[in-house]
Amino acid sequence: MTEHLGDYATEMSATPGEVNPVRAFVAQLWGSIFRHGLPTTDKVAARTALTNFFLHIHPVRVKRSAIRVSYTLCLGGLSFFLFILLTITGLFLMFYYIPSVDQAYQNVKDLEFVATFGLVIRNMHRWAAHGMVITVWLHMARVFYQGAYKPPREFNWAIGTLLLLTTLLLSFSGYLLPWDQLAVWAITVGTNMAKYAPIAGPYTRYLLLGGRGVAQGALIRFYVLHVIALPLIGFLLMVVHFWRVRKDGFTGGL
Amino acid sequence: MATVVGGGNGEGRGRATVSTPLTRPTRPVSGPELASPPLVVRRREEEETVVTFPHLVWREFLAGLLAFVFLMVVSIQINAPLLQRANTAITPNPAKAPWYFVGLQELLERFPPVMAGVAFPSFVIIFMILTPYIDKNPSRRPQDRKVAIALFTVYLCLAVAFIVVGVFFRSLAFNWDWTRIFGHPALPSPV
Repeated sequence: MTEHLGDYATEMSATPGEVNPVRAFVAQLWGSIFRHGLPTTDKVAARTALTNFFLHIHPVRVKRSAIRVSYTLCLGGLSFFLFILLTITGLFLMFYYIPSVDQAYQNVKDLEFVATFGLVIRNMHRWAAHGMVITVWLHMARVFYQGAYKPPREFNWAIGTLLLLTTLLLSFSGYLLPWDQLAVWAITVGTNMAKYAPIAGPYTRYLLLGGRGVAQGALIRFYVLHVIALPLIGFLLMVVHFWRVRKDGFTGGL
Repeated sequence: MATVVGGGNGEGRGRATVSTPLTRPTRPVSGPELASPPLVVRRREEEETVVTFPHLVWREFLAGLLAFVFLMVVSIQINAPLLQRANTAITPNPAKAPWYFVGLQELLERFPPVMAGVAFPSFVIIFMILTPYIDKNPSRRPQDRKVAIALFTVYLCLAVAFIVVGVFFRSLAFNWDWTRIFGHPALPSPV
C-alpha cells in the first residue's frame, strides 16, 4: 500500500499488525504531495529534484565549479528573482491602477497615501525594475567575460540578447504609467528617437503611441504592453533560455 | 577493450585534455549477454559534481532572500519619484529619457539622428546576437581572448560613460553642465 508513497510514507507506516488510521492518512497525504523525505542522502536528494515540478528546472547534478558564487555571481538567478518579484508587486499595483489619463495619476497618489503598504510596494516595483536592468546587463557581461556563449551555446546567447531588450522595453513601457511630468516627457523623448528611422520611423512612432503625441492612446498601449504582452514574451524567452542552459550543460569554472 | 575519451558537449575544447584512467569492469566477462560490457567513461573533472538540491537551491534561496531584504530596506528608505501631473503644455527642461536610454540621447547630441537613433542601436543589437558566430576562437581562457575582452570592455565603458554623462552632466536644454555635480562658485553646494 505504501509502496508508491516513497520513503517518508514507509517511515510513517505503523508497525506490522497495527495500523493507525490517522498515521496512515497522514502518510498518504504527505506522500501524495512530496514523493520523498528530506534530502538526507544524495540518492533521496537526486530523486526529489527529479520528481518535483519546481525543482526540475535544475539538472539533478551539476559540476561543483559551475555553481560557485564567485563564478556565477548569482546574476542570472537574481534577474529571474527580480522578474518574479516585479510580477507579484505589479499584480498588487494593478488592483489600484486604472490606465486612464484622468485617473492614473490620482491612482498612483492614492497608492502613496491611501492604500496600505501601497507606497512600499510601488517603491519596490520601481527599484526592482531598475535593479533588473542592471542585473541583466551584468549577467550579460559575466557570460561574455567567461566565454560562456561559445558553442554549443551560441543560440542561447541570442535569446539572452532578446531578453535584455525585453527587459529594457518592460522598464520603458512601465515608465509612462504614473502619468506624471517625468513619465510623459521621458516617453516623449524616448519615442522621438524612433522617429528618425528612415521611412518607417514616423509610422513606428505613430503605431507605438496610438497617435501623434503621448496621450490616452499611448497610455493604454503602453499599459497593455507592460502588463500582458511583454511579460508573456519575456516569460516564454526565459523558459527557452533556462531549458537550453540545462540541455547545453553548465559551463563551469575556467 | 575500446578506449573512450569523454568529449562531452564541447567542454574543454581548446585546452589539453588529460585522459584519465577509465573505470572498467573488474570481473571477467563471458557469454553473449555480456558481449559489450558497460563502460563507465568519466573525466576526473566531471566527477566533481554535487546534487543541485540542496546545494544550488540553497544558494538561490539565500541570494533571493538577501536581494529581497536589500530591496525592502531601499523601498522603505527611498521613495520612487513622482512629479506633478502630466501636462503637455509645460515641457520640463531638460527632458530626459529613462537612464538606460540616456546614452542614446547623448549619442543624438553628437551624431546625426539617423546614425544615433537607428544605425548605432541596430548595429549593436545585431552585432551582439552574432557575437558567438563571429568569435571563432574556441578557447574560454582570458589569456587567449585578449581582443574579444578588450573590444567588449571598450563597449561597456562607452555605454556606461554615455549614461553617466547624460544623467549627471547634462542640464538645461541638455547642455553640458559641471555645476550639477561640482556646484557653482556663487551658489551653495548642490551635493
